[in-house]
Amino acid sequence: MDALERLHRFRQTDAWLYSVILAAAGLSLVASFVLSVDALLLAANPQAALGCNINQVLSCGAVGVSWQANLLGFPNAFLGLITEPVFITVALGGIGGARFSRGFMLGVQGVAVFALGFAYWLYSQSMFVIGALCPWCLVVTLSTTVLFAAVTHLNIRDDNLFFPPRVQQGLETWLRLGLDLLLVVLVLFVLIAMVVVKYGAALLA
Amino acid sequence: MSKQEPTRQPSDPTSKRQQLRLEQERAAKEQRVRNIITYVAVGLGAIALIGGIIWAVLTYGSQATKPIAVKVNTEYTVMAGKADAPVIIDIYQDYICPYCGQTEQANSADLDALVASGEAAVRIHPMNFLDDASMGTKYSTRAANALVSVAKAEPDKMMAFNSALFANQPEENTTGLTDEEIALLATQVGVTQATIDTFASLTYADFVTSSTNAAFTDGIQSTPTVLINGTQFEGNLLTAGPLKAAVQAAAAK
Repeated sequence: MDALERLHRFRQTDAWLYSVILAAAGLSLVASFVLSVDALLLAANPQAALGCNINQVLSCGAVGVSWQANLLGFPNAFLGLITEPVFITVALGGIGGARFSRGFMLGVQGVAVFALGFAYWLYSQSMFVIGALCPWCLVVTLSTTVLFAAVTHLNIRDDNLFFPPRVQQGLETWLRLGLDLLLVVLVLFVLIAMVVVKYGAALLA
Repeated sequence: MSKQEPTRQPSDPTSKRQQLRLEQERAAKEQRVRNIITYVAVGLGAIALIGGIIWAVLTYGSQATKPIAVKVNTEYTVMAGKADAPVIIDIYQDYICPYCGQTEQANSADLDALVASGEAAVRIHPMNFLDDASMGTKYSTRAANALVSVAKAEPDKMMAFNSALFANQPEENTTGLTDEEIALLATQVGVTQATIDTFASLTYADFVTSSTNAAFTDGIQSTPTVLINGTQFEGNLLTAGPLKAAVQAAAAK
């Protein structure tokens, strides 16, 4: 069996998928924590010089005090503090060999969909409306993408999403062909490329 | 791939073998397709990574080797003092940038004295890149437009008006001062009503935007940036003294 084949097999295993979820959720949790602390500092003093005010493009200050950063009336990062530990717990359970029921995993998928939608909405607001990018938010955007991909991969593999048989078969073929990997690479590429194209050299200033 | 369904006759060993063979062919074909897709994905990732690193190194390298002296585009600037003063102080600023305000508060007395004595001239680059920080009212543009209007019509009032704008600086992400409040500040420093009446038409809004773009072309990365005879001042701007000392040192050269 050649290396590519082994790689493909490995990408379908519980160990790999749950580890990806663990790593992505862990990264998002760290970012959420930093953003939450920043949100408190900003609440106390809107002009606080934050650690990530690198330049006028990469600015937590400008993003942190926008209404978009407090969509539900409290800092968005608090949502990360609430939800990421759930993913971490599920991932640790999965690595430890726990089996979750279809309904439970459907719920996990629901949270992942919500997280992805929210992260992308914030990304677009940050890019096109606020006009400044916050490094920790970008970390959340990218790691949430990876987390969503891993959760969805797992759930398609285990037929947890209650899709009609035809759809389920189509998605399994998609996984067998490894198209999920290509899609994730493409999405990450586009997300980062948009930042580079929009802000270019200003990022390194 | 053949559309033919394998004949379903479990009792026939030939057909069973054929079915197995078809299955194997299908799997092999699938694996070939998968390998191609994997190569594309990994290749794309690798190209992006390498391209990104090269881009970062080149960009960063070009910045590192860039001389500290800045080639200043003076087209969209306003000046206090004589153009032939021995020292020209360039100040890149945005009226809602908190550090610009602190810089001005700390140094305004020194700058006024340097201009008055003829030792230096102050060239202001009014920028509006923080327009998004005033909740849609574009305070940066409105304030900078007012300053340029004053500078063009009544240049001797420019520094006082600049100080007044910063002394009453609004916080970031508020709506900023209203047009009336800006006008009142201008009145207080002695600007004539005729000039004040022109603020509302935003005559110099494009000037300010051009100034902002020119500043980025100059390589300015943040505000406040202060140049002394075209060389970036690296000392502490937030306290009185260091800037004045540096200007006098440059004048003595």
